[in-house]
Amino acid sequence: MIRMPTTGFTALLAKEFRQLLRNKQLVFMLVAMPTFQLFMYGFALDPEVKHLRLGVVDYSKSPISRDLVSAVVRNGVFDLEESGGDEQQLSYRVRDGRLDIGLVIPPEFERTLKAQRPSRIQVILDGVDANTAGIANGYVNQIIANFGSEAKTYIATGAQDSAIRTDSTFVYNAGLIAAWFFIPGVMGLVLNVAGILVSSATLLREKETGTLEQLLMTPVTSAEILVAKIIPLVALLFVNVGVSLIIGMTIFRMPFRGDPISLFVISLLYIFVVLSLGIALSTVSDNQRQAMLISFFINMPVIQLSGAIAPLESMPPFFQHLSLLNPLRYYIQCLKGVLLKGVGLDVLWPQVLALFCFAFVLLTVSASRFRRQLT
Amino acid sequence: MRVFRRAMAQAIKELAQFRRDWLTVALAYVLPFAALLMYGFATRLEAKDIHVAIFNFDSGKISREFIDAVYATTQFRVIPSHSGNVLAPLDAGEAKASIIIPPEFSRLIKSGRTADIELLIDGTDVNNARIIKNGFFALTQVFLRDQNLKHKQQLISPAVRLWFNPGRREPLHIVPGSIALLTWIFPALLSAFALVREKEQGTVLQLYASSITALELVLGKAAAYFVVGMVEAAIVIAGGLIIFGIPFVGNLILFVICTMLYVLSGVLFGLWAGSRANNQMAAVQICAMVGFLSSMLLSGFIYPIRNITYPISLLANFVPARYYIEATRDAFVRGGSWLAHWYVPVFLLLINVLILAATSHGMRKMQIAS
Repeated sequence: MIRMPTTGFTALLAKEFRQLLRNKQLVFMLVAMPTFQLFMYGFALDPEVKHLRLGVVDYSKSPISRDLVSAVVRNGVFDLEESGGDEQQLSYRVRDGRLDIGLVIPPEFERTLKAQRPSRIQVILDGVDANTAGIANGYVNQIIANFGSEAKTYIATGAQDSAIRTDSTFVYNAGLIAAWFFIPGVMGLVLNVAGILVSSATLLREKETGTLEQLLMTPVTSAEILVAKIIPLVALLFVNVGVSLIIGMTIFRMPFRGDPISLFVISLLYIFVVLSLGIALSTVSDNQRQAMLISFFINMPVIQLSGAIAPLESMPPFFQHLSLLNPLRYYIQCLKGVLLKGVGLDVLWPQVLALFCFAFVLLTVSASRFRRQLT
Repeated sequence: MRVFRRAMAQAIKELAQFRRDWLTVALAYVLPFAALLMYGFATRLEAKDIHVAIFNFDSGKISREFIDAVYATTQFRVIPSHSGNVLAPLDAGEAKASIIIPPEFSRLIKSGRTADIELLIDGTDVNNARIIKNGFFALTQVFLRDQNLKHKQQLISPAVRLWFNPGRREPLHIVPGSIALLTWIFPALLSAFALVREKEQGTVLQLYASSITALELVLGKAAAYFVVGMVEAAIVIAGGLIIFGIPFVGNLILFVICTMLYVLSGVLFGLWAGSRANNQMAAVQICAMVGFLSSMLLSGFIYPIRNITYPISLLANFVPARYYIEATRDAFVRGGSWLAHWYVPVFLLLINVLILAATSHGMRKMQIAS
């Protein structure tokens, strides 16, 4: 039963807008939260493996061994922290966490190379940070392999170029700028946290002060009450998305390669998802404090299984399957697609369809719960 | 002694109030434990089954053998590609990389010349992009050796030993960090709530009217939530060690001292936040934005501290989690001598004194104002 909006509705809508804008704390949260979070994530998190502290024990003390060390430190991955001492001291310093990597070059290094026999050098890597250690390990192997093939300049070998050369190109983010990975994730995360809190708070304030009953006495219907509550929130959450986008594009120079309409569609769908969650939350809790505490229990798994911070593809299969039930996952995938990859709804339609289903189901359920609560 | 007695009375009252509210009890014990499981099991930075698409424009035997070598690795999983567009699998997010084998590949290699393999890597996942590049390089090296295409044996080979974590198990990295994150933020939230609740319900006025001093009030609340926080820390640490099979290898006494100082710093931070905020929403915002974000991002929990951009990296020195994470990694993974991290308890103590001073100063000012 669709009725034309009454004059009461427009009055109600105006009231909701005024009330929301008067709440400085909510407006502050919607603007300051994305700003602060984007700055923190963008500047603090960088997975690049660089400036690992290197200790060298060179028993060989030959021109080749010195060249090997300079080849290792050349590209900034490893910084030569100290050289000299013996193996024992080196291993103590790695154990104490003062060095990340130790290199031990054997005394017979130059002699064996000149005799064209293979020589082994020892590398000790601090494996506590499994991810960094893995990447560092790859670098050491590459640098030393390349050095080995260059070593023919010292010793006349018949070594030739490698038979296969791999040309790697990083697409979408050629410079591998870490902030570009985190910004879409943080945009989704902030919208999720702020949206649920703000929408549940505005509905609960009315419930706490008892003014909801007064609204029911007026000629507006319960559906109109809900719609009048939702419209200003949607507008405000779009401001939130806009603030994130502006910071991402100006401070971190993130590209916007797709079209604005796709961004609008996916953001609108996700805003409806978080609003529905907020409305549902307001119906199960008695006051703002309870809603806030319960929202921790919702947000923690939703953020963790969304791919905002750690990539989804790396998770164990069980969690990957679980994340299929997480709407934030689809929103972040869409954001990455539209902003970084420049693809549109024609490629992203499975994710958009999933978002639509979440929005539809959640909105229906929460709206009916809200109306049941009123009667 | 009067200070002590009054603080104790405040603490006992606070604990009774805490026990009565099931939601805060769940927040103190259930959520941290659930979060630990989630961080420990689900946070993996390095991908194992990286989906790749192969576009083979060569019809020779070597290219087919190369593709077999890609299939044989555990690191890459080849997905079927439908179209001829090499970017399409990356656009749709179906694959992380496209391997393009050019025509003439086999013929070039057979005639002793160098053939190029093109690799397009999705750069949106910054961490794994590097891993894919390194992994692919290693794969081709192994392939060349197996096919006897390497003309000379590699002269210098590194013998790499990974210390402390030879299997590169990521829980060994993530779980100590998660323990640090969780044993700080939840005591902080709870004590902030406790202080703000007095303000919201107006009972703080009764406290002002009584003869209890600001310091006594802060100490009493701190003592109560210190007990709650230590129980939480014990649950999270014991649970983490048992579930993830992490041994304790450090110095137990030093670790207990660090844990106590660290939990206390969380509680005191919460009280400071509570003294600044006027309602619970604001208190949560302070705890979440300042406390949680700094402990997560400026502590070396996910990526090393040295990667933080310069002026922000200075802030990391004031984050308690940054020190405590050193202590947890030492205690659970490295087992180095305690001398290496002598500064951890010292700095934690210093931070505690600073926050305590700020809080009781703020409370005193408020008392006069009202």
